[in-house]
Amino acid sequence: MAEVKVKVQPPDADPVEIENRIIELCHQFPHGITDQVIQNEMPHIEAQQRAVAINRLLSMGQLDLLRSNTGLLYRIKDSQNAGPVSFFLSKMKGSDNQEKLVYQIIEDAGNKGIWSRDIRYKSNLPLTEINKILKNLESKKLIKAVKSVAASKKKVYMLYNLQPDRSVTGGAWYSDQDFESEFVEVLNQQCFKFLQTKAETARESKQNPMIQRNSSFASSHEVWKYICELGISKVELSMEDIETILNTLIYDGKVEMTIIAAKEGTVGSVDGHMRLYRAVNPIIPPTGLVRAPCGLCPVFDDCHEGGEISPSNCIYMTEWLEF
Amino acid sequence: MTQAEIKLCSLLLQEHFGEIVEKIGVHLIRTGSQPLRVIAHDTGTSLDQVKKALCVLIQHNLVIYQVHKRGVVEYEAQCSRVLRMLRYPRYIYTAKTLYSDTGELIVEELLLNGKMTMSAVVKKVADRLTETMEDGKTMDYAEVSNTFVRLADTHFVQRCPWVPATENSDPGPPPPAPILVISEKDMYLVPKLSLIGKGKRRRSSDEDAAGEPKAKRPKHSTDNKEPIPDDGIYWQANLDRFHQHFRDQAIVSAVANRMDQTSSEIVRTMLRMSEITTPSTAPFTQPLSSNEIFRSLPVGYNISKQVLDQYLTLLADDPLEFVGKSGDSGGGMYVINLHKALGSLATATLESVVQERFGSRCARIFRLVLQKKHLEQKQVEDFAMIPAKEAKDMLYKMLSGNFISLQEIPKTPDHAPSRTFYLYTVNILSAARMLLHRCYKASTRKVSEGGSHHCIYAGYRCRGGTAPRNRGDDHSP
Repeated sequence: MAEVKVKVQPPDADPVEIENRIIELCHQFPHGITDQVIQNEMPHIEAQQRAVAINRLLSMGQLDLLRSNTGLLYRIKDSQNAGPVSFFLSKMKGSDNQEKLVYQIIEDAGNKGIWSRDIRYKSNLPLTEINKILKNLESKKLIKAVKSVAASKKKVYMLYNLQPDRSVTGGAWYSDQDFESEFVEVLNQQCFKFLQTKAETARESKQNPMIQRNSSFASSHEVWKYICELGISKVELSMEDIETILNTLIYDGKVEMTIIAAKEGTVGSVDGHMRLYRAVNPIIPPTGLVRAPCGLCPVFDDCHEGGEISPSNCIYMTEWLEF
Repeated sequence: MTQAEIKLCSLLLQEHFGEIVEKIGVHLIRTGSQPLRVIAHDTGTSLDQVKKALCVLIQHNLVIYQVHKRGVVEYEAQCSRVLRMLRYPRYIYTAKTLYSDTGELIVEELLLNGKMTMSAVVKKVADRLTETMEDGKTMDYAEVSNTFVRLADTHFVQRCPWVPATENSDPGPPPPAPILVISEKDMYLVPKLSLIGKGKRRRSSDEDAAGEPKAKRPKHSTDNKEPIPDDGIYWQANLDRFHQHFRDQAIVSAVANRMDQTSSEIVRTMLRMSEITTPSTAPFTQPLSSNEIFRSLPVGYNISKQVLDQYLTLLADDPLEFVGKSGDSGGGMYVINLHKALGSLATATLESVVQERFGSRCARIFRLVLQKKHLEQKQVEDFAMIPAKEAKDMLYKMLSGNFISLQEIPKTPDHAPSRTFYLYTVNILSAARMLLHRCYKASTRKVSEGGSHHCIYAGYRCRGGTAPRNRGDDHSP
């Protein structure tokens, strides 16, 4: 009697079952599973069947294929992306992988966006192809182009429904790529006035000098609250924004800053220290040289005796001496 | 010596001493130290006139002489000393504020005559003061001497070096030029003179006949034949001490502007206590204990010891860093950081000039680069919150005015511009020097205007306004 080798078909050799098991495993390990893990779970499945299942899951977009230093990792795609992807897949069933690749690259760039040249480097596709694909995706409203504030000719691409990052739009100081200098100026003056009045009241209180000095300080948190309450800004301003404004006041020489150590819990402290600001006066009045016309004369270097421009026929000098 | 400085020196010498002295002086400034005959030959003036001109210059401390090898005496002009002549009005005004009219006249006489004996000064000043007083009143010599002694005690006037008395009579030929020495302790020693007398009023001899004044003059000269008790002891104005005073004034006013009146009074007291004890080029004053300061405060200021301690702590903690704490004995030892103070004042002057010339936004960029030392174009725009185009324009304006300079840092061995970092930076010392040079040029403009008294005074004020900063420029790191 010839022995018939019967291949015992294990109960869950069904391809769909395999896929489900793999998906369950992926859910169990959200960071990704290696091939080894799948093998351990279902030792009775042959490698080929495993590969088929995994490929199907990948093509359906339910798994992500990642490479780690130990090998290949399979990770479940989180549900957030599952939506548009299925949407995307439904739209372009037969579209080539190139578009998918480009889309993936743009998606990875997050909310900072990616420049077209970088897409080219990452995907190794020729420029013409890239442009076609980008136009395609844009018309399908899957990606959008955002003008970067740093280089006004540069356009970065990002997913349609993402908010562009601050570094691209410039944050609170830019509205539509335009630097709002008047807004900055107004904030500048308001902050300075606040600090000035605080210093004035401290000086007039006529208490002992230590208390006077300490009460003339204002922390950045206080200034932030004051500006928010003033309501002159239509954009929400954070404490860092106010600190950049206060820094410009320091560079104007009107305000000085000290940093003190503060307990973690106190309001406005960042990493255990607080910044305090105080309005100050300049230490010298405008210097002597600029009170005379020569200090401000635009043609000072051309002026010498006997020339076209000379001290004897200087009009600024005669005007100045007419007092 | 830059061209502008030489031009200024020549104008000053011409105004004060005349053409011949100016010719000799400028020649010496240009060529350095030279012997007598070479000067006469090069300038084409007679030996006699050169000798007279040199006498005038030496009398006013503008030229010094040295004996070189082979017995040749060389004369050297001191350009910086000539430039100090611009500040004479300021010195006189300072003496007036400290020691009233008597002091003012003493300093004026000393500055105009170079060197004088004490008795001559006292006599002349008394005569001048008597003239301005009402009829019948005269100025007593004793009062003038007292003021003179006080000036000497606070080191505003000092003795000139003299020939030491040689004990052994040397029969050999006298040296070609006398060697003058002075020791530190003798510099402010006032000789014991009993000057008795009163100022004489000079009678106006208008109504007398023309022949009369001539007869009067020989009689006056015979009056002065009596022996002068302090012959050979000459005094001169100590300019360094005046400069120290200006420096102290600038520091005190800076503290008053930044903090309040009381703090500036405390700093003034500290500086007054270290007037004599600290050399003028020292980086710090001597440490002063809080108790000493409390005792030396001016009488009108009655603040308690604790309040004084609080003020001192505040001064020491201030970001200005003018006052530092050097120890804890005696209630806390405090020093004044002179070099830092002068550096801050010089920097503030630079900032003020930038602000007046280019505008306050340029001043913001300037201070920003000053604080952060090196910045790229993009960083400047970000920190200063100024739109890119305007920031670029302002940076280039300041660059062409030599207030800001560029530092190149190449990324590749071929310094390709697209692959190089360009950083903006401020070189304080060179900017200060450039500004000083501009001051000299501007003063030349004013002094050469000639005629109008106003403009020369204005020129002095302009120059005087920046005078204390010059010392800061020398000392700033």
